[in-house]
Amino acid sequence: MASSEGKSPVWRGMKGSIPLFIPAIPFAFVFGVVVAESGLPGFLGWSSAPIIFGGAAQITLLTLLGEGASVAAAVTAALIVGARHLLYSVTLAPRFQSQPRWFRWVGAYMLIDQVFALVSIEELDDPDEFRHFYLSAGLTFWFLWMSFTALGIAIGPIIPEGWQLAFAAPVLFISILAVSVDRWQKAAAALVAMIAMAALADLPNRLGILVAAILAMFVGILLERVRR
Amino acid sequence: MTVFIAIVLAGLGTYAMRALFLVALSNKTFPPLALRLLEYVAPAVMGALVVSMLIDSTGQLSLGAPELAGLGCAAFVAARTRNHIYALAVAMAVFWGLRWIM
Repeated sequence: MASSEGKSPVWRGMKGSIPLFIPAIPFAFVFGVVVAESGLPGFLGWSSAPIIFGGAAQITLLTLLGEGASVAAAVTAALIVGARHLLYSVTLAPRFQSQPRWFRWVGAYMLIDQVFALVSIEELDDPDEFRHFYLSAGLTFWFLWMSFTALGIAIGPIIPEGWQLAFAAPVLFISILAVSVDRWQKAAAALVAMIAMAALADLPNRLGILVAAILAMFVGILLERVRR
Repeated sequence: MTVFIAIVLAGLGTYAMRALFLVALSNKTFPPLALRLLEYVAPAVMGALVVSMLIDSTGQLSLGAPELAGLGCAAFVAARTRNHIYALAVAMAVFWGLRWIM
């Protein structure tokens, strides 16, 4: 990303957020379709946007609840989808050591994929500059995500079911997968998870997700040993 | 009400994962094996979820030629262009096209 030195970090945070938000727009609409198909009241579905503030976890949770999974199963699946946030938290922790206490609490709420990506590529040496940039990018994403998920929920029920737009949810997930795979072991692990999930399709409460994911993680780790 | 409880639980859990090292353990790190395992959470869970989203509430998996072709195209286009919008457009076009023909 081109560094725009001399500009205020607040302005840079806002400007950096907009292009990164565009890929999130289809998620907002797919989320709207998922809520419509689950038959839940729109506002209840939308409340997951401010409460969870994470597209993939929201889509996972509401898809599974809509398909009749138990609360425990749906929440577990949503949390393992969000487990990458632990990785973000570990990575950014050193840069939060010199930050005020309130910002650690508030910043954690805004630690989404795009904010993590932005602060990883921007030059932000001064703690105040870091904080202003982070808050500006986080708030920009927050307002955009709240607005577009509301729009998605308004439009979701109007879309005819014959369009089979629910298929867009697995499509978006496989494209996140394809972008995030940076070595063949991860691709192999993903493939193992898919095959295992297909084989375990009739386990109750989507228990297959947990079993398939754990199996695939261990296959991935074992394959890393093979390389050496 | 149970749905709202599920949303709140998922929200609290997500926040806890984000806050853990920023708020509480900012000078701690994971052991290397745990970090490695964590790196595999995303591909493993995403893989399982892609297939899980094609299973209906009776446990029936609908994974025919249109779905397979659509998912394959999405993975290919996303890996090539790193653009989710292109991937979505191509995959839905292939999926609708094949369903219309078959």
